[in-house]
Amino acid sequence: MRWGMAIELKRCIGCYACVLACKAEHFLPPNIFWNRVLIGEKGKYPAVTKLIYSVRCNHCADPKCVKACPTGATSQRADGIVVVDEDKCVGCRYCMVACPYQARSFYEDGHGDQHEYFPGQGLTEHEKIGQILYPHQVGTVQKCVFCKERIDEGLAKGLKPGVDRDASPACMNICPVKAIHFGDLDDPYSEVSQIIKEKKGHPFHPEFDTKPSIYYID
Amino acid sequence: MMQIKPWDFMVKYTPQREWIEGHGIMVAFAMFFGGISGGLYLSSLYFHSELGTLIAWVFSGLAGLTDMAHLSKPMRFWRMLRRPNSSWISRGFILIWLFLGAALIQMALTHWAPGNAWEIVFKVIGGVLAFGVAIYSGFALGFVGAIKFWNSGLVPILYVISGVTAGLAVVILVSLNATNLYVVGNYLVVALIAYAIAVATYFWTATYSSSAAKDSAVRVLKGPVVLLGIILPIVMVAPFSLKQNISQAVFIIASVFTVLGGIFLRYVILKAGMYTPLLPDSES
Repeated sequence: MRWGMAIELKRCIGCYACVLACKAEHFLPPNIFWNRVLIGEKGKYPAVTKLIYSVRCNHCADPKCVKACPTGATSQRADGIVVVDEDKCVGCRYCMVACPYQARSFYEDGHGDQHEYFPGQGLTEHEKIGQILYPHQVGTVQKCVFCKERIDEGLAKGLKPGVDRDASPACMNICPVKAIHFGDLDDPYSEVSQIIKEKKGHPFHPEFDTKPSIYYID
Repeated sequence: MMQIKPWDFMVKYTPQREWIEGHGIMVAFAMFFGGISGGLYLSSLYFHSELGTLIAWVFSGLAGLTDMAHLSKPMRFWRMLRRPNSSWISRGFILIWLFLGAALIQMALTHWAPGNAWEIVFKVIGGVLAFGVAIYSGFALGFVGAIKFWNSGLVPILYVISGVTAGLAVVILVSLNATNLYVVGNYLVVALIAYAIAVATYFWTATYSSSAAKDSAVRVLKGPVVLLGIILPIVMVAPFSLKQNISQAVFIIASVFTVLGGIFLRYVILKAGMYTPLLPDSES
């Protein structure tokens, strides 16, 4: 089993809902992004194309971050999900430097604006609840975990990730245009495998040679 | 250095910040202290300078301390000893600790039991570990495929040569009254020339390896580091060394510039690190 994603670029409208859903799901502090939307342009007027890429950790099969980590805080689960154990992270940030996709964020030990969405106003109720339900350690590296909690709990209930909402990543659930597909890449009959095969999905920058688990469909 | 706007992140050339801004600057110092420690220890063994080996030992300790100062969770430093099978940071940290132990024993033997067989054994062990301490940071950078400017097999070589050069400069500073100072000066000139060739080769290869690496190389070359840290010391020391005519003032100034050049070279290499944009043809 290897969890993966397929993202249809022609469907994506760049609404940032995936970014916000991720923020809400994991109670991410300000300046921490596990998911980003990159928007650029290609070509010159009048032949200009807008590029919109929803990006996050690629959960590579050959992850540079895992090799770089000096403590073993970053590791890869049997299902391919790359995770960070905040209790083991020393904050050396070698994993961040090593990631060619720059998919990691560092939770800095800074002033109030690093920890409060409304600096100087104190934490909102949502932020307070987040510190209890999903605490993040200051001074550690953060990244997308493919909503592993939802996957693990869903599987325990007999649900199917990528099919059942309760077992699927928040970014996939929220996407209003269904541009994000999730599932088992090792299962040739899963929806995600079928879409990648039929629509010729390709990894983002295969030249980085990390074998990403996220495929993009032009 | 260009400042990247949040919406330009990885859409345009994005400078690395993790290892240069805030506590990140400690990485530059750790790399410098590691390099000069290894180079100075090897140079001191060659020129039989006990004071030099002691300073090399102190520099190695400073390399370990600055490494730890960079960590946001320094009390967990012991965890960095656990992944030598894959991580260059872990390997470097272990090398520093082993070097500190081996060099301490060697210095004690050299001082209190010179000529002892164990002294030779620990000189060899210390020398090998010193080489490791000098080179590991080069491998740590060379591993980073994300930053094309660093991702070069020449970086470890450059860092060792830089370490040996700075080490020789320190040997000169601690041997100013020695009669053979011009000999050390000759070695320094040769090392500086090798250093200049290594830097030139590294930058030259960077200019055609990728557009990001070229951009980084140009940024470094625009600064005064190469001129003041390498060229100037060669021009200053060479005439005096070749004529075997010792001018302490010239040797001191050239040595200080060489050491400072070693610090700033590491700083600018880290500062010039750029990630290639992720969006296809976003530069067009």
